[in-house]
Amino acid sequence: MAQPIPSRRQFLTAVGNLASAGWIALNWPQIASAAEHADHAAHDTVAPPRHLTTLTTAEAAEIDAIANQIVPGGVTPGARDARVTYFIDNALGSFFAAQLPSFRKGLAEFQSAYAARQGGAGKAFSAAPEAEQTAWLKEVDKTPFFTAVRRLTVLGLIALPKYGGNHENLGWKLIGVEDNHYWEPPFGYYDRDYGGFEPYPGTKPYTA
Amino acid sequence: MDRKTFKTGETVDFIVVGSGSSGGIMARELARAGNSVVVMEQGPRMEAHEFEHDELKYRQLSGITNNPATNPQTFRRDADQKAERTAGRNPLTYARVVGGSSTHFNANFWRLHEIDFIEGSRFGSIEGASLVDWPITYAELEPYYTKVEWEVGVSGLAGASPFDPWRSKPYPMPPLPVKSSGVLFERGARKLGLHPFPAPMAINSVTYRDRPACAQCGLCGGFACEVMAKSSSVWTVIPEAEATGRCEVRPESYVFRIGMNKAGRATGVYYYDGDRKEQFQNARAVVVCANGAETPKLLLNSATNGFEQGLANSSGAVGRYLMFNKGGGAQARFEHPLNEYKGANVTRIMHDFYDSDPKRGFYGGGGFDARSGGPLTWGQSVPNGTPTWGPEFKEYLESYTYWMNCSGHGTSLAQATNRVDIDPELKDDWGVPAIRVTYRDHPDDVKHAKWQVERAVEIMDAAGAKQIVPGEIGEASGGVHLLGTCRMGNDPDTSVIDKYHRAHDVKNLFLCDGSSMVTSGRGQPTQTIEALAFRAADHIAKFARAGEI
Repeated sequence: MAQPIPSRRQFLTAVGNLASAGWIALNWPQIASAAEHADHAAHDTVAPPRHLTTLTTAEAAEIDAIANQIVPGGVTPGARDARVTYFIDNALGSFFAAQLPSFRKGLAEFQSAYAARQGGAGKAFSAAPEAEQTAWLKEVDKTPFFTAVRRLTVLGLIALPKYGGNHENLGWKLIGVEDNHYWEPPFGYYDRDYGGFEPYPGTKPYTA
Repeated sequence: MDRKTFKTGETVDFIVVGSGSSGGIMARELARAGNSVVVMEQGPRMEAHEFEHDELKYRQLSGITNNPATNPQTFRRDADQKAERTAGRNPLTYARVVGGSSTHFNANFWRLHEIDFIEGSRFGSIEGASLVDWPITYAELEPYYTKVEWEVGVSGLAGASPFDPWRSKPYPMPPLPVKSSGVLFERGARKLGLHPFPAPMAINSVTYRDRPACAQCGLCGGFACEVMAKSSSVWTVIPEAEATGRCEVRPESYVFRIGMNKAGRATGVYYYDGDRKEQFQNARAVVVCANGAETPKLLLNSATNGFEQGLANSSGAVGRYLMFNKGGGAQARFEHPLNEYKGANVTRIMHDFYDSDPKRGFYGGGGFDARSGGPLTWGQSVPNGTPTWGPEFKEYLESYTYWMNCSGHGTSLAQATNRVDIDPELKDDWGVPAIRVTYRDHPDDVKHAKWQVERAVEIMDAAGAKQIVPGEIGEASGGVHLLGTCRMGNDPDTSVIDKYHRAHDVKNLFLCDGSSMVTSGRGQPTQTIEALAFRAADHIAKFARAGEI
């Protein structure tokens, strides 16, 4: 019969229950293994935002285009795949709301400068061919607005999915991070064959 | 368990302000000695399951730290400048939650060495600095370092470092398992003839004192431990203090002034409760363990008749001699993945360069460690020459698991001009006058940090790194190690507290936290803060029994 997988809260309650410390010591590998396979998104009970609440559709399209140049898609996921724009929209409507006015002002300046470069044709940056987008971003990538979008893009790529980005953990997958609550050694390539700590001449390491 | 509560009108034996590294120990020891104790904590009480693996919340926003939006501070380099609010984090950052900063510390538990207590007489005066001896020695503190290791819980390997000070007992737990950064750091340092060793950490490596071993989740610094393997006050001494039946921990209780009577004795504390309603708790004595920022702020905001310059401040030293622990290091990329996001943050350290060496041409010493950082913070910046966006930036992001840090942690010289005081205009959301920070690195601190960068580069090069990014040393504009601001000393004209942590000016007022430290140590002050708390509590309890408070 399949063992029920404990929830994150059950896991933490088990390991945190002072009265059950002995039981934990005895069952630790099983507890840890179960926790490792548990649904770690369970603690993110808030569903990630899946529609715009702060930016307009037109604004979001521009931000999405910029973000996807900062971390382009392709063989591996990019900012658009990770739905970074939902993160940015969510952030500017909540914990970074204080930045929204300057962000909007920066976006407007970005757009008007781009339009001026087009001879006032009014074409949106997001509608431009990729090469043209890249060329324009190279001209403005030192501006505070671009820096802000870049920061938000990286945050949206890697922050918990509940904030709107990092869709299906794509940001973590991109950087090689697995979402587990528990790890055991070896952790990486170099600690696999570690032979143990060799004492130095003249020292006598000792333990309790 | 029903937790003991006291009425504000009751006169308890002790109020302990702050529930962090020192406050938790102080509360437990005083309560176990038979005293009634109320612990006042600014922040909320959170259970283990309420903490998350949320790097955005805890490292980028003010998840459990003092929030610049509600608890703002100002900063300036020199006293002739107007201090301004800074963008982003406050200059002085600490956790505002039951357990204080012990809740979110990395858990590096280094003892000070014998030299740390006597550098004033060893090196003499240094221009611009106040390098003086402590009024206590390593030998006086040693039993309490041991007490921290056994009563709070520290893992490590005694006797492994040829530079370790003497000790009366080994660690109660073996060291944590080494991770790839530790192996590479050890490899590089040994090649250079240095002596890296397993890091002493306040993290359980085995089940200890009814708490489980580390789950190796990888998120220590900045995060609370969800499995309670990290030896934070909230999981260790605070429940034990409450178990006496004589201690109440009162969360969301923001102490803003110490009450005084005409006889010059503390009568209790004024605080705002969770509804921001002003309250007063009566007490026979007050012990302030609020950290190196909040302790001087509270004293300076408690100015009253007879104490016009702030409470216990006849020396003028309250808030002065602020130290942060300056240091420098390097980031390095290797051929294969290290996966530093897994496992407790630090597994190897080194103390070969601990002592200051006059041959270097400047004062300063420190230790090094191999450590990791979370990806969200790491991804914010790129090495010089790496594009900040586009396909090459994406490639850089994809290399996250191949990187590690070799970090130096070192001395900051005490300077009277570096200080915490009260901003003349700014108030926080409670209407309490806010902290103003004035800070400029001593030139020797900067020289030492740059010297540490060079050593870190050498170690990473010897370890076989494919790419090394030397750290950039800028002027400090804040920190999380908040030290020296109510220094201890024998002379009431130059120090705030005596060697027993009693304020020179107020007989029933005691201070014990990072503010008590006379010199900065080498970068990891928490075990010393906790040892000081055990020692101070011993003496304070004796004074109480003898009717000498």
